[in-house]
Amino acid sequence: MTAMANISWKWAAALLTVILALVPFWPGALDSYLFSFLFFVFIYAVMAQGWNLVAGFGGQISLGSHAFFGLGAYTTAILWSGNYLWGSLYETFPRIYYFDPVTMVLSGLVAALAAALIGLPLLSKLRGDYFALGTLGFGEILKVIFVNGGDFTGGAFGLVTPSSTFETLMPHYYVGLGLTVGTAVAIGWLMRSRYGLALIAVRDDEMAASANGINTLKVKVAAFAGSAFIAGIAGSLYSFYIFHVGPDSVFNLDWMLLPLMMTVVGGTGTVLGPILGAFIMYAVFDIARIFVPDYHPIISGLTIILAMLFLPKGLVRKILPMSLARN
Amino acid sequence: MQSDETVLSLEAVTKRFGGLVVLDGIDLVVGPGELVGLIGPNGAGKSTLFNVMTAIYAPTRGKVRFKGKDITGAAPHHICRFGIARTFQLVRTFLTMTAFENVMVGAVYGSGGRVRHARDAAEAALELVGLSAKRNVTTAHMTLSDRRLLEIARAMASEPSLLLLDEPMAGLNPTEIRQMVEVIRRTRSEKGISILWVEHKVDAIMKVCSRVVVLDHGVKIADGTPVEIVANRKVIEAYLGEPAA
Ligand SMILES: Nc1ncnc2c1ncn2[C@@H]1O[C@H](COP(=O)(O)OP(=O)(O)OP(=O)(O)O)[C@@H](O)[C@H]1O
Ligand SMILES: [Mg+2]
Repeated sequence: MTAMANISWKWAAALLTVILALVPFWPGALDSYLFSFLFFVFIYAVMAQGWNLVAGFGGQISLGSHAFFGLGAYTTAILWSGNYLWGSLYETFPRIYYFDPVTMVLSGLVAALAAALIGLPLLSKLRGDYFALGTLGFGEILKVIFVNGGDFTGGAFGLVTPSSTFETLMPHYYVGLGLTVGTAVAIGWLMRSRYGLALIAVRDDEMAASANGINTLKVKVAAFAGSAFIAGIAGSLYSFYIFHVGPDSVFNLDWMLLPLMMTVVGGTGTVLGPILGAFIMYAVFDIARIFVPDYHPIISGLTIILAMLFLPKGLVRKILPMSLARN
Repeated sequence: MQSDETVLSLEAVTKRFGGLVVLDGIDLVVGPGELVGLIGPNGAGKSTLFNVMTAIYAPTRGKVRFKGKDITGAAPHHICRFGIARTFQLVRTFLTMTAFENVMVGAVYGSGGRVRHARDAAEAALELVGLSAKRNVTTAHMTLSDRRLLEIARAMASEPSLLLLDEPMAGLNPTEIRQMVEVIRRTRSEKGISILWVEHKVDAIMKVCSRVVVLDHGVKIADGTPVEIVANRKVIEAYLGEPAA
C-alpha cells in the first residue's frame, strides 16, 4: 500500500513540476507578480534543501547558510566583473558569464571548500553548540572580510555586474526550478545510498555509528560541504538576478533564518518538506510584507510559532505516511 | 609474551579521570572461542574497560592488543573494522531506522571488507537473534529487549572475532532474559567467536561462562572458573562489603 502511495506522490510531484515548467507560456506570466514570486520560492527551496541535508538528515545544526550563499554570490560576481575565466572570449561573447555553468559550479565549490575547512575543527567537537555558534560567527567574519576586501570585493558597496545582459526572468525561473528539482532528486538518491545510511546513523547516535565502523567526522564534514555547495549555487543564481552583490544583502542573516524556518515548518529530514515549507512560508512572508508591512515580522513570527505548536514534525509528516515522509 | 592464539590481551591498563583511578593495571586475556564473564559491583570500571578497548577512551597507561597487534591509539571507527564489535549498557540503536537498516550499518561499515554481501550478512544477523520478522519495524517502536537483541545483531553483522556485551540483560523480564541467554549461547556456538560479557546477573554468568573475571574499584581481584570464583574470599567481600574488622 505504501509502495503505491509512494508512486502516486512521485507522480504528483512530477505533474507539479510540469505545470511549473509551463507557467512561463501562460500569456502575461512573464510580467506577473507570480513569476518573480515563484523564482524566489525556488531560491529559498534550494537553500532549505541545503540546510536540510546537514541539519535535517545529518543532525548538525548549522547557522551559517548565509555565509555560503554569500560566498557563492561573490564568487560569481568576482569572476564575472574581473573576467577571470574566459579571457578574450569575453569580448566576443559579452554574455558568456551569464548563467555560465562553470561559474556556477565554481561558486558552489568555493563555498564547499570553505565549509570543509571550518567544518573540520568545528565538527570534531562532539558538542553541537560549538558548531552552531562557530558557523554563525563564520558568516559575520566573512562579512567583515568582504567589506574590507578593497577593489577585489568592492568594499562596503560590493560589486556590480553588467545588468545589460538581462532580458527576461525566464532563465532565472528555469534554472531555479531545475535546481529545486535537481537537489531534491539528488538528495533523495543520496539518502538511499550507503552514504545516507551513515549520515542517518551519525544523526541518530554518533557513538554507536563510530563503534560500528563509521568515520563520523568524515560523514559530517561531507554533509556540511554538500550543503554549502548547494547554498553557493543558490547564491550564484541570485547574483545573476540582482547584478549587485553587496555584503549587507548577500551575507544577510535572512538567507540562513528563512530557509531554516521553511524546513522546520515543512518537515526536517524529509526531501519534500523543504520545498513545501518554502512555498508556504514564502507566501506568508510575502503577503505579510505587501499587505501589512508594519506587522510583517509579527505575522511571520506567529505563523512559525503556530507551526511549531501544531506541526512539531513538519507539514510533510502530517500529510504523508511516516515511511514515505523520510524519502 | 602471549601466544598467537590470543584474541584480546590487555597489558597493565590504567585509566584515570583527573585524580580518580578507574582502572588500575588491568591484565586480561581472551582466547579464541572463549566466553568470558566480567562482573563487579557498580562503578567497578567494567564499562570503562570496554571504552578503553574500543578506543572511546585512551588508557592513561598500558596496552590493548588484538590478535597480537597493538591497537591502543587506533581511531574508534577502526576498532570494529579490525573485528571487535560491541553493545552498550544504555542501548544505542539508530532510532529512526528500521531494524534491517540498523544491521546494515554494521555489515556495510563495520566489517572492514570481511563482509562481501552486506544484505545477506544483515539478514543472517537478524535471523541469529530472532528478529527477522521485525526487520521493517522502526527501532523507536521496538521494546527494550528487542533493541538489545538488535544491538547484538548489528554487532554480529560485521562478522567480528570478538564481541563485547555490556549488560545485555539490564531491564529485561525473566522470559526475555532466558531468550537473551539463548541468543548469546547460540552466537558463540554457531559463529565460534570470542565473547566478553559484562553482567550484573551473576547467576546467568556462572551458568553460561567457562571463565569469569571480577573487577572491584578498578582492580582485577579474581580470574578463574565459576567454581573458583564463587569460593573466592575477595569476591565474596567485594559483593557483601568489607567484613567487620
Ligand atoms: N568520563 C568519565 N569521567 C569521570 N569519571 C568517570 C567517567 N566514566 C566513568 N567514570 C567513573 O568511573 C567509575 C567506573 O565507571 P564504570 O561505568 O566503568 O563502572 P561499571 O563497572 O560499568 O559500573 P556499572 O555496573 O554501574 O555499569 C565510576 O566511578 C564512574 O563514575
Ligand atoms: Mg557499566
